[in-house]
Amino acid sequence: MSHSKLAIIGIGEVPTGIYPDRSRWDIIYDTCIAAVNDAGIHKDEVEAVVTVAPQAQPEIYAEISFGKIPEELGLIGCRDVCVCNAGGASTSNCLRLAEQLIESGEARYVLIPHLTVHSTIPIPDLINFFAKAGIDRQWEYPFGQTYNGIIAMMTRRYMYESGTTAEEMASVVVSLRKWAALDPNSIFYKKEVPTIEKVLASGMVASPLHKRECNVLADGGAAMVVTSAENARARKAPAAYKLGEGSRYFSAFTTTRDSKKTETGMHDATFEALARAGLTTSDIDIWNVYLAYPVGHPLLMELLGLCEPGQAGKMFMEGHTAPGGKLPWATIGDAVGRGHTGSGVSMATYVDTARQLMGKAGERQVPDVKYVYQCTSGGSGMNFIASVWGRD
Amino acid sequence: MSQKPVPIMQPWTKAFWAGAKEGKLLVQHCRDCQANIFFPKKVCPECWSRNLTWIEAGGKAKVYSFTQMLDMVEPVFWEDLPYVIAFVDLEEGIRMTTRIVNCRMEDICIGMDLEVVFQPLNDEIAMPCFQPADPALRLAASSADTEDAEDGKAEEEAFAGYQTILYEIGGKDDTVCFITLNRPDKFNAINRQMARELIHAFRRVREEAGVGVVVLAGAGEKAFCTGGDLEIFPSLADHQSSLNWLAHEGLDVQRAISGCEKVVVGKIHGHCLAGGLEIALACDLLYAGESARFGTTEINMGVLPGWGGTARLPRSMPVFRAREMIFSGRKDYTAKEVYDMGLLTRVFPDQEFEASFERIVANIAAKKPAALRMGKEVMARSVDGCDMETALALERNAIQWLTYAPDIQAMLEPFKADPTRLTRQQKKDNMASDQR
Repeated sequence: MSHSKLAIIGIGEVPTGIYPDRSRWDIIYDTCIAAVNDAGIHKDEVEAVVTVAPQAQPEIYAEISFGKIPEELGLIGCRDVCVCNAGGASTSNCLRLAEQLIESGEARYVLIPHLTVHSTIPIPDLINFFAKAGIDRQWEYPFGQTYNGIIAMMTRRYMYESGTTAEEMASVVVSLRKWAALDPNSIFYKKEVPTIEKVLASGMVASPLHKRECNVLADGGAAMVVTSAENARARKAPAAYKLGEGSRYFSAFTTTRDSKKTETGMHDATFEALARAGLTTSDIDIWNVYLAYPVGHPLLMELLGLCEPGQAGKMFMEGHTAPGGKLPWATIGDAVGRGHTGSGVSMATYVDTARQLMGKAGERQVPDVKYVYQCTSGGSGMNFIASVWGRD
Repeated sequence: MSQKPVPIMQPWTKAFWAGAKEGKLLVQHCRDCQANIFFPKKVCPECWSRNLTWIEAGGKAKVYSFTQMLDMVEPVFWEDLPYVIAFVDLEEGIRMTTRIVNCRMEDICIGMDLEVVFQPLNDEIAMPCFQPADPALRLAASSADTEDAEDGKAEEEAFAGYQTILYEIGGKDDTVCFITLNRPDKFNAINRQMARELIHAFRRVREEAGVGVVVLAGAGEKAFCTGGDLEIFPSLADHQSSLNWLAHEGLDVQRAISGCEKVVVGKIHGHCLAGGLEIALACDLLYAGESARFGTTEINMGVLPGWGGTARLPRSMPVFRAREMIFSGRKDYTAKEVYDMGLLTRVFPDQEFEASFERIVANIAAKKPAALRMGKEVMARSVDGCDMETALALERNAIQWLTYAPDIQAMLEPFKADPTRLTRQQKKDNMASDQR
């Protein structure tokens, strides 16, 4: 583990779903206390709090920005506090900030929380945020563009270039929902997994994207406690070690995004992360992919050479990516399976990466996990951050 | 399109929109590094030069990808649904987001050649949209008349495949149109798509001259219809959206059913609640299986039935019973109870419902569509509250009109020579109409 400098040693999470009676501060209290307890440290040992920016929730965003979490939780050892916002990639950058705080000696333990409560946001505010964030107000939005519209166009292009069928695209949803059905923190926990036919029978939102291929906005939250890899090792408790990372920025908006540059960037960021970890794709036991909608999953699988070009859809259709399959893929079911919690899906993905490596994933536990690949992306696909995690 | 969001301009992008207003598609160009730039910038993103100018693009493009937007768009775009958004690649090497217009959805494909066409957003702004480069693939033509005709054709094309309802002509001699609410996994709840499709279908069936009866039913075993889909509810928090859902979709659906020139027969099974009951109330006849359950639950949310229920229920049963239905918010009224309260035409044991319903519909559908149409109108106007003398005049003159309607006269022609034959035929038809 010579490459490792950072380790996740504690995780806490609340179920994702529609919980209007569960306040934002409820989530912060519950997840942070659970993460600190899971880490086996005292609250006063937390020396920094780096929070994932709560999207579309300006009031709590301001409260957290101005340092309310350490005060509310009585973290009297806290030396510094900040909020980090890179959309869905925020958690990756929170971890990097934490890593810097730890490396510099400023903090030994850093708490990284996230919370989202969509269900109590006034509808006009929610529309105002999601209709315009990541969609250009001059060159895209006035035409009636939406996130679903963007993804629908990307999906159509991918299907055109790869020959992937609608049934194969629907099977991505089936695979994601199979993981979600086993996940107590998913909005779809214990819910019937839709068949391919049922996915395709759901209403068309923006062709070729069906309703069940889109995300359900939900409430949720999680927290992690991180420390140096050296300290984590000394503690001899289960931990997830960051082994390598690579990142690329593409563009703020999909209209101006060069698809070849994006695909090359996703590939290169991944292989840089693997190289920094001293690993190859064949070493990876779980592909914990966060790309929000189905289309990114087969696309990434092909880009990384995990299957022949144009064959990723079949990989999903044949069940290789589902629980028990040979290529465990997106073990919380990505946003489609988990429920979309703004920037929180990336947090939930990291938490599950740690959970799998700590051996705490219950029914979804992939046996003998040594290495987990994890990726995030922000905005409407503005960037891509790949990382590789392992256990001691 | 005056209410639509306008492009939020920067000082260095205003020339683009000024060009668009004049029918020119301008592309920002760097004089130093020769880059074509989109979105336009304050400086060249390639070389940071400020030596920028505009060139007029040829207006030719190819489709990179596209989507037909059908649902889950902002309220301000609802009136445009369905519409096509696309990424198009200009010959000048830039990609734009735009709309593809004047084209049938099924004719659009990746790689299709397009040309720019400017559509006014308001008095100041024209949006650069694209239409097929091949005139043969365009829907709109130059003359206004042709445009209207093509718009109508486009509307027909857009609804060639309903997504939330089924539309089928059947029965003996194709005299019955079956319109079925088809979201069984959602208890046939009404979303915006279904509202649009119902309005379209009930207007469409008016053109079916041979059809006398429309059967309105729900797919699946669980429900006729449980009212507005929950997905609609968040949008109702906005005052304007809520008003439009009532005054646009709601009123138009009611009018499309009650104003349909066919006899609309509601076939009720399972749950018939809230907006589901309200569209049933717009029908002319209502038959139910005994296990059907009825109610108006709106009051439980602090509101009232708003798709005609609060107005029609007291007109469909004694007012003291209607008040209980509306005020109680119960959703467990049995078919028998509702029948006893005066609402339903008839209730059948579940096991007999299908066969009995089919027999009743077949009998009514065997009548002349013109007579059914006239009967529906006379009775509707009559019970709407005109005075008795007016109602009798309406009835008298309607029947006189019917008697001399061409198809009735054609039917009577052979009997004129032999009145006894007419009597025999009349008896035969009377016997055929009896149900037992």
